[in-house]
Amino acid sequence: MWGSTTTARIVSIVSFLVGWQLIIPLLPTALIPTPIEVGEFMWAELRADTLAPETVYQAFATSLRRLVTGFGIALLIGIPLGLLMGLFKRVEDFLHDFVVVGLAMPSLVWALIAAMWFGFVERSSIITVVLASVTFVIINVAEGVRAVPKDLLDMSRAYGTSDLHRVRHVVLPSLMPFLFASLRYGLANGWKGLVLAEIYASTSGAGWTIRFWYDARRAQGVIGYALFFMIFALLAERLVFRKLSDRVFRWRPSDAQAPQEAEGSVQVGI
Amino acid sequence: MATIKVQNLRKEFVTSDSTVVALEDASFEASGHVFVSVVGPSGCGKSTLLNILSGIETPTSGIAEITEDGKKARNGYVFQAARLLPWRTVMDNLLFVQTDKDDKARERCQRYLEMVDLGHTANQYPGQLSGGMQQRVGIARAFSIEPDVLLMDEPFSHLDAITGRSLRRELHNIWKETKKTVLFVTHDVGEAVELSNRMVIFGKGGRLREDLNIDLPFPRDPADDAVALTKANVLRKFEELDLVVS
Repeated sequence: MWGSTTTARIVSIVSFLVGWQLIIPLLPTALIPTPIEVGEFMWAELRADTLAPETVYQAFATSLRRLVTGFGIALLIGIPLGLLMGLFKRVEDFLHDFVVVGLAMPSLVWALIAAMWFGFVERSSIITVVLASVTFVIINVAEGVRAVPKDLLDMSRAYGTSDLHRVRHVVLPSLMPFLFASLRYGLANGWKGLVLAEIYASTSGAGWTIRFWYDARRAQGVIGYALFFMIFALLAERLVFRKLSDRVFRWRPSDAQAPQEAEGSVQVGI
Repeated sequence: MATIKVQNLRKEFVTSDSTVVALEDASFEASGHVFVSVVGPSGCGKSTLLNILSGIETPTSGIAEITEDGKKARNGYVFQAARLLPWRTVMDNLLFVQTDKDDKARERCQRYLEMVDLGHTANQYPGQLSGGMQQRVGIARAFSIEPDVLLMDEPFSHLDAITGRSLRRELHNIWKETKKTVLFVTHDVGEAVELSNRMVIFGKGGRLREDLNIDLPFPRDPADDAVALTKANVLRKFEELDLVVS
């Protein structure tokens, strides 16, 4: 049965939408759409009936491809650097400031730099994703290496297990929560960077399409696309992250509902 | 027959501003079906001795080796905490330390789990078990490799009194059955007297101070006169050696 909390939430959302619908016609502007207009826009988009050069499916597919490529590169760079940073103090000292600056840098700056240097090519969006996400991978993997439990390593050494066996069954599993945190926050930050890069330096993708609606003065298009972004993020969370995390962390005792990030993992998003 | 040989063993830990000597000129030997307790106040190098014998640490000088008929022996190690891999099931934790991971190893692991009454937990994760059960899995793991020598580092000190007592009894039975050589580190003199037929006593600075035989029949009931008396005598010896920390 629905508790009173659920009822209150539904009443809240419905009254927001009804209020919005009723107030807009009273305002002296044509730039704010009513919820019905936004709904109609989104429904048309979902039926692939659109004014824009790309349908919503094409736009998100393009962006997703760039995101996955860029983040894949970020993993290839970030995991080895993170391992080195966690293992050797010299490397840590050497990279530390760059990583901190990288974490704090707004994705917008990366998008602008990439647009300036590489122009309107596929490369600039991908490079923005790499720059916006690689520091999350580096710092989380480095933290993970430091968090590998020494008592378990000693145990496996006392039992004379091989190095390979130890890396496979002790080091990697204890890194998993940290890899997971870098996946989630690296992808989120990479996505933010990507949308901006597409706005400034692309002629395709979801970011570019929202720009198209902005230039075309269609407020329902801009708001509708913002809602598509939210739906996309929710789907990714439900269909990918939660499934993956339930599978990887099935050994964790019953607090499976709780967030699955590692303690001490770095999750700042800007 | 397994032999533990420690000769003029010295171990120092060097930090940037000081050198701490954990073991100094320690020598003793033990072999065959014996239960040797290593006792002493904290910081006397007891755990360091086990870590060196198991290969986790290396000695500064001297000899520390465990052999089985002249060859390097296989050691089982039970730690103060269970030290199980939380992401592997109980069975997989036991298989993790096996040299061969075939069906025979699996059967053997199951047998030792049943020995500590945990046969039914084979497919559970350590996080689903209580602290006492995890410690028993740790004991089963040590036995499951059919070691020549069993090294134990205060394995019952984190457990409540009742669980500790029943595990001590269980350990004694397994030792009697399997005829292993056991080296058991503890700071609890009562526990040492109840379990072992020999005690080596370490003092501050990691020096071996006393090597005692305890010739009492098993099983030893703490309420038994002879057992109680022996405990009192050993404690008096501790006072004489000035090992009691007050």
